[in-house]
Amino acid sequence: MAAILETREIEYAYADGTRALSDVSLTIEDGEKIALVGPNGAGKSTLMLMLNGILRPSKGEVLFRNKRLDYDSRSLREVRRRVGMVFQNSDDQLFAPSVYQDVAFGPVNLGFSQEKVKRYVGYALQYVGLLGYEFRPPHHLSGGEKKRAAIAGILAMEPEVMILDEPTSNLDPATSEEIMEMLDELNMGGKTLIISTHDVDLAYRWADEVVLMKDGGVLRRGSGEEVFSDLELIREARLKPPMVVDLYHELVSRRLVEENKPPKSILELCDLLEKKDELQQRKMGTIYICNADDLVPVKAQELVRKVDADYTGAMGTRARRG
Amino acid sequence: MHDLLDDWAQCNALRGTSAPLKLFLGLGAIIICISSLTPAAPVFVAISMSLIILILAKIPIRIYFRLLLLPLSFALLSSLVVALMHGSGNMLYAVEPFGLEIGIREDGAALALLLIARTFGGMCSLFFIALTTPMIEIFAVLKALRIPESTIELSMMIYRYIFVFLDQAMMIHSAQIMRLGDGSARSAIRSFSMLASVLFLRSWEQGERLIVAMDARCYDGRLDLMQEKKGARAIEIAATGAYLALTLAISLMSNKPGII
Repeated sequence: MAAILETREIEYAYADGTRALSDVSLTIEDGEKIALVGPNGAGKSTLMLMLNGILRPSKGEVLFRNKRLDYDSRSLREVRRRVGMVFQNSDDQLFAPSVYQDVAFGPVNLGFSQEKVKRYVGYALQYVGLLGYEFRPPHHLSGGEKKRAAIAGILAMEPEVMILDEPTSNLDPATSEEIMEMLDELNMGGKTLIISTHDVDLAYRWADEVVLMKDGGVLRRGSGEEVFSDLELIREARLKPPMVVDLYHELVSRRLVEENKPPKSILELCDLLEKKDELQQRKMGTIYICNADDLVPVKAQELVRKVDADYTGAMGTRARRG
Repeated sequence: MHDLLDDWAQCNALRGTSAPLKLFLGLGAIIICISSLTPAAPVFVAISMSLIILILAKIPIRIYFRLLLLPLSFALLSSLVVALMHGSGNMLYAVEPFGLEIGIREDGAALALLLIARTFGGMCSLFFIALTTPMIEIFAVLKALRIPESTIELSMMIYRYIFVFLDQAMMIHSAQIMRLGDGSARSAIRSFSMLASVLFLRSWEQGERLIVAMDARCYDGRLDLMQEKKGARAIEIAATGAYLALTLAISLMSNKPGII
């Protein structure tokens, strides 16, 4: 895998002298799912604003695809097109009077023809599930819909990297889950994703790589299991270990499970608790999968009746919406 | 929640009809109202526009009347002043406090009546536009009328952020009330001044964030002013034309001397 974004020893201080970042070197590879985790004021947002050239480091350099950011207007446009950013507060981002106009903002400014703009906007709105919302003003949207619209505005520019500052803050759990699932799909489609959060459970579950930050520096970078198993480090960063990891350590210390790799999810933890031979003895069930795209509801009900299922559900954001 | 005009503009029974036609109807009626020399045409406009708003656009009657209350009180007050200050002719009613004669003369009364009728007719027409046509569509019409783009872009941003600041103002206001910021007249005034200054600072910050948000999406001086293509049906055009012609006729006929 090739590095898509890289920072080399960047530093940043605000006008009043407060140091927001010091000596941050980070390499982000193509197609990764990265979570920046840290307490308030750790420098997560500042680092994110560096990555698409909104802020310029006072020292060090930022590289996009091994090319140094030059901060002239042409290279800035280029990097901002490739690296899209979704702000924490959707109201900061949605400034046009209608959803369509907001999503079209990027493509229009990239100089696309009207017909192409229309196509891109349609595609982006369909992806986030907001078709039919074109002419609504943003203040008539719910929090989750605003977030979707903000993501569509970035998607319409076809970025390679998407940066999302606290994507699930102020959203209800079900909506958060949907948004994160959508991000997963985007990642599967080849986009590199960087999110910031202080929801450790979310970061642990979702990210391939976790970057733990504190006081403007990177404390540790690694897989979720690595970073969150170091309890000392987590405490130092004023965070708590993810619930699953916490429970796992407690179970290990009481010798209820053997020490191994921390489980990624509740399911994995349950599997650890069940003894191996028990697992093997149990009769396996059958999973039926079908493509929801060419399935009408009546037909689906018929199928479900035929196979006598214990549990039915839809996978993927598109299927759920259908 | 608060009832905003904007909410009704988004969902009323006339939402689907052509915006230029609605604007033409509303503005035409306003112009006939204010140029009419007798109350007849404005009264006709006020009644017919109210019926259109209530029956065709299906705006709840309670909300519509609450909306009318504000301009109505204003119109009544100002025409009272006009009635007292103005005119010649027979004295209809007079009082003499402290030996000072204050009274209403025939002319003044007629003028006041005309003023109320005009304001009322105009307000009803304006509410017709405001309650049936969303701002986005009005922007599109403005563009078709060749209003300079920077003006339209600016008003689009203003329109968008009015609601952000309205939200913030309401939240600050509740935060103040929760801590008894409106306990006395004195503290109410102080609270209000604080609200105003905080809102000013926030709008300043919001402006800076807006620039960042636009830059982050490659702002190049271009904003899409899309137009929703919604043609007017022939019958709608005919009805609008007939209505305006009728109003104009009433206005012209009643302008003849002899009828008030």
